[in-house]
Amino acid sequence: MAEKLKLVRGYPEYMLESIEAVQATRAQRLEEGPPPGMSLEEREELLKKYHPDYAPGGKRPLVAGPNKGELAPNEVADLLEAYPLVEPGELELKVDIDVDILILGGGLAGTMAAIWAHTQGVPPDRILLATKLRHGDSNSIMAQGGTQAADKPYDSPVIHFLDALGGGHFTNKPDVLKALVEDAPFIVKWLTELGCLFDRDENGEFVEDWGGGTSRPRMHAARDYTGMEELRVIRDEFRNRGFGLLEFYPAVELLTDPKGRVAGAVLWNMETDEYKVVRAKAVVLATGGFGRLHIRGFPTTNHYGATADGLVLAYRAGAVLRDLDTVQYHPTGAAYPQQIVGLLITEKVRGLGAQVVNREGEAFVYPLEPRDVEAAAIIRECYDREKCLVTPTGLRGVWLDSPMIEELHGEGTIERRLPAMFRMYQRFGIDMRRDPILVFPTLHYQNGGVETDPWGRTNVEGLFVAGEVTGGVHGKNRLMGNSTLDCLVFGRRAGIAAADYVKGKGAPKAVTLDHLKGFVEELRAAGVPEERRSPILLPDYRGKRVLARMIDLL
Amino acid sequence: MPEIMDRIREANRAVTTGIDDSAVKHWVTVYIMGKAYRVPADITIMQAMEYAGYRFVRGAGCRAGFCGACATVYRTAGDWRLKTALACQTRVEDGMYLVQIPFTPAEKPAYAIEEEPADGTPLLKYFPELARCVACNTCTKACPQDLEVMDYIQAALRGDLEAITELSFDCIQCGLCAMRCPAEITHYHVAQLARRLYGRSLPVPKHVEERVREIESGVYAEEFERILSLGREEIEELYKKEQREKGGLKSRDASRVTRNG
Amino acid sequence: MPDAKNPSPITHHPSRIPYFPGCALKDQAEAFEESARAAMAALGYELAELPRWNCCGTVYSLATDDLMRHLGPVRNLVRVQELGETRLVTLCAMCYNTLARSSRFVGADPERLERINAFMDEEADYRGGVEVLHLLQLLRDEVGFEEIEAKVKKPLAGVRVAPYYGCMLLRPREVGIDAPDSPEVLEALFSALGAEPLDFPQKAECCGAYQTVSDPEIVRERVREIVSAARRAGAELIATSCPLCQFNLETHQSVAHHPSPITVVYFTQLLALALGVPEDKLGFAGLKFDPRPLLSERELV
Repeated sequence: MAEKLKLVRGYPEYMLESIEAVQATRAQRLEEGPPPGMSLEEREELLKKYHPDYAPGGKRPLVAGPNKGELAPNEVADLLEAYPLVEPGELELKVDIDVDILILGGGLAGTMAAIWAHTQGVPPDRILLATKLRHGDSNSIMAQGGTQAADKPYDSPVIHFLDALGGGHFTNKPDVLKALVEDAPFIVKWLTELGCLFDRDENGEFVEDWGGGTSRPRMHAARDYTGMEELRVIRDEFRNRGFGLLEFYPAVELLTDPKGRVAGAVLWNMETDEYKVVRAKAVVLATGGFGRLHIRGFPTTNHYGATADGLVLAYRAGAVLRDLDTVQYHPTGAAYPQQIVGLLITEKVRGLGAQVVNREGEAFVYPLEPRDVEAAAIIRECYDREKCLVTPTGLRGVWLDSPMIEELHGEGTIERRLPAMFRMYQRFGIDMRRDPILVFPTLHYQNGGVETDPWGRTNVEGLFVAGEVTGGVHGKNRLMGNSTLDCLVFGRRAGIAAADYVKGKGAPKAVTLDHLKGFVEELRAAGVPEERRSPILLPDYRGKRVLARMIDLL
Repeated sequence: MPEIMDRIREANRAVTTGIDDSAVKHWVTVYIMGKAYRVPADITIMQAMEYAGYRFVRGAGCRAGFCGACATVYRTAGDWRLKTALACQTRVEDGMYLVQIPFTPAEKPAYAIEEEPADGTPLLKYFPELARCVACNTCTKACPQDLEVMDYIQAALRGDLEAITELSFDCIQCGLCAMRCPAEITHYHVAQLARRLYGRSLPVPKHVEERVREIESGVYAEEFERILSLGREEIEELYKKEQREKGGLKSRDASRVTRNG
Repeated sequence: MPDAKNPSPITHHPSRIPYFPGCALKDQAEAFEESARAAMAALGYELAELPRWNCCGTVYSLATDDLMRHLGPVRNLVRVQELGETRLVTLCAMCYNTLARSSRFVGADPERLERINAFMDEEADYRGGVEVLHLLQLLRDEVGFEEIEAKVKKPLAGVRVAPYYGCMLLRPREVGIDAPDSPEVLEALFSALGAEPLDFPQKAECCGAYQTVSDPEIVRERVREIVSAARRAGAELIATSCPLCQFNLETHQSVAHHPSPITVVYFTQLLALALGVPEDKLGFAGLKFDPRPLLSERELV
């Protein structure tokens, strides 16, 4: 049996010297405060050199579809330029289920859409939510940091707008962004009235924190279980109202009527392989993002099902996408221990005052730069300046000096405000109250997606979108606390808009897969290899040895 | 520059694709539903099952300890105790005998929360089985989040919403407590109702109500119109000014930000 | 013996006694707890609520092999042990009965205790020896009625009160705090307070609480008998030590049988009143039939 690596306080022994260096500079760093922020020019320069979006070799122009000629990450292009799993003529399209509104996706956005379509007058038995995994399995439930809403007297929706616009490099779609920030206080109020528990201080006031790129503290958190708290409350509400629900039933293709309007979807039972044809007057697509495609080989914070299915389906139905060329890498993913590599270390850790520190204990970057800038700075420190730690499995990372939080806010703050993270590290023998934690950027968010107006409407009639699958509201970079907000605001708006759209409408005359025909021809003309198929539905992490010995007998 | 991205891709290969044996130094043997598999030592139960050839449909969700999809029951060699864990948050151990719980059949009563009093009385009304609790503490021992589950069920019996909220807040609703309970209580549904009732007993802060009213009455319309009419350069200037003057953490500000900003 | 693993948050002092409230006292019987705490404070004692207490078990299990039912009560005794204390005082007669019987049940047979401890496994073992007391025992045996009489500030002169024991304080004999058929402790207490205790034949009979759900008619009949007997004896008030009795005697008193119902108070309310506890801490407002008109006639409130 090979010798086991010696761990001290959860870390390999050789890292202790550096941990001590971080401890040695802590008092002075606390006194002096973080290094100054970068100018817009400095940010630009850093991004160009060190951000995976800018480094060459990661993207290519699309060869087919509405966004032909525009850049997309290779891993995304591979799915957009791929043949359907089911081709027209292959399936009998006899309608199994008939509803007014079909919602695809069971995170915050999809759940909101159901509740608000119902509130807007559609009976719950005319609304069906179908989701690939369980209701709630989503990136939403993992959102730790918070939800932005400019509701304090020192703040305003206009300032929130400005912060998000600057964070997005002034590429956000203004009317959509305006809807986001203007609905935010209402969303917080509505959730609170449903019994959602945002953190409060001893006087019952909301505790509102900073996030990267915000000029005012406006982050509403529920410990570091914000998305989970929001989701479990509205999911409970969903269950109380008696909507239709199909779990482990991903959509594998949208259906259209003879006029090209979206008219339902083909769902597939992942456990029995049976397909179901759902006819709907409107479809709300809330399928989330693409983190599990591991763009550029990065680990990800995303949930198991984040495989861009909705993007693929919408694109084939003719929906225009935007801002697909940028991907959000969260600056601080776990880099050690190996079991949790890539998992999110919420920005709230930095919002509470923890600095990002290199091997020698130097704080080398202002901790609350916008995410892309912060990530690029960490990559520079690890792969250019080489002032990083290297883990036993060869990963690089820098320290996030979590014990500063206890120094700044008092003992017990980490357990109280970051219980999920504290628990996670504790499970692997690391006490983040005492020792810093090792971080490296991780693939976090799909900035772009299906283009939408402020009500979730797309260029395809009958198709509504909400949440991470959409593009525009965050431009080319999203700020912390605007994704849960995005799902809540536009899930609601898409639900309302879809409800208004179906009012008085008859059922679609016919459901077809005809929209695939032209697209498939385009792919063939462009020489896309026949074996390339999508959506992929799930990533594949099976061991290489097993895959090499697998045979398909039944 | 491309070489940096290549080096990052290479370093992460084990977590972004399947594990290759050549990279593994230490091994353990685990039993997945009774069958022995030799798997790398320093990975999670979830990663080990994948290494062994399982491609999850059920049993994997967020993969980060937030969703409760990967509830796992196991024993270790020489120990009669039935243990529980989240597969994504637990390192494999040599000799683990394990199985995942794909689904928890649970009765979830429907209620209109706005019609319920914001006190403890709805708990026993919707969950009369609460009264069957004999304080055996099996739920607490089953909780992979290490919550004091039995204590919050006891708090539910006396209608103490604040105590239930505090004790159950970090519940990820994995269902292990309910599967182990001899009184057949669905703890996590009880706690969900209790937290919502407690939440409803707290008022919406006045400044939130006020801001919603302001926005609805168009207080910000003019300012938005002005901002939206600005050219790129002007708006960049404005952004820089706000960030410079008000933005973020200055020296020891971090200790104050959570209060008034 | 203080438990080293679980340092006590309670400072050890003979007048600071671990106290088990029980679920009812946190809900519909708040008046019982409030008045008891105030009265004990007036006597120089503090009832220190047991940390992490759980339901007493409510109904004592009669099946000797049903050890599971004893986990709840025993776990509460472990909490007392963790504090390094040896006594636990209760107010609710039902909780008293369940806890005291469970304590004796496991104390009587080491094998039972061993099995319960083995089930609790990683948790602390119960080593036995915690004494469960009802507040009336504490008042009688430790504080003493003479001492109480000396501290009375407002004698309840002329108040005719029928002490109603019910069954839980007296039966079975091994946990009874007084003679099962002819108890006197409440009478002695009320005499010390200056009131006029009345004897009536039903004072130690069951109110029928066990039948509340399955056959409420039985309860109504029992209540009618008990209240009529008290009335015939000349009672102005009925005083109990059990939230279930109090609830039943209040709720099932039918106005059809008698136009003016008799107020049912907790004995601690009278104790606190006599000891000069301010009216707002007596919990009278929470009762269905307010005793204050009567008491104000006697210039007691």
